[in-house]
Amino acid sequence: MALVDDVKTLIEGAIPGSQVEVIDEGGGDHLRVNVTASHFEGMSRIEQHRLVKSAVRERSDTGELHSLTIKTSVPQ
Amino acid sequence: MTEPTLKDKVQQLIAENPVLLFMKGTPEAPACGNSMRAIAAIEPYGVEYGALDVLPALEPLREVTGEIADWRTFPQLYVNGELVGGADIIEEMNESGELAELLGVERPEGQPMSAKQELKADDPQQSPPIQIER
Repeated sequence: MALVDDVKTLIEGAIPGSQVEVIDEGGGDHLRVNVTASHFEGMSRIEQHRLVKSAVRERSDTGELHSLTIKTSVPQ
Repeated sequence: MTEPTLKDKVQQLIAENPVLLFMKGTPEAPACGNSMRAIAAIEPYGVEYGALDVLPALEPLREVTGEIADWRTFPQLYVNGELVGGADIIEEMNESGELAELLGVERPEGQPMSAKQELKADDPQQSPPIQIER
């Protein structure tokens, strides 16, 4: 599975009801993700980012995922 | 007395520097795009900040900041002892005005002013964290 799809699946699995958009910013291992989830409601930005990061931690640790730019939001 | 651990040293640094950035490289020569983004956001405020290059002890510092703040990537910005976030959060807060509020200064206009203070591994006064015993 391409890393882009893999990362999408991992985040969606970790954050219930999330809408995840993954954009390849270069080379397939520099990714940008936009994650929208009502689950984020009431959480600080840093807590939201922690959730996203921990979802893909394994890919980051192996170096497979080199860089991840994160944008989180709560649906309007 | 037992030697302070790396974790002790990092905690001390965070406690002693009201604004502290863990980064790859130095403010003059950031060694990673995200560290560069963090510097670009912070510098214009002209506040004094400590910058620590994590590259000499990358993996140990990853572990330690993971334990302290549940955050394992760099850069990391700490203000008043609290982790603010990495480059994405710093940029977002810069744009929204929250960073100015957090730093207790006006949002800068025009030319950046700089008042950085770099912490070096071999500087006896500021040094602690990077000296890793092998």
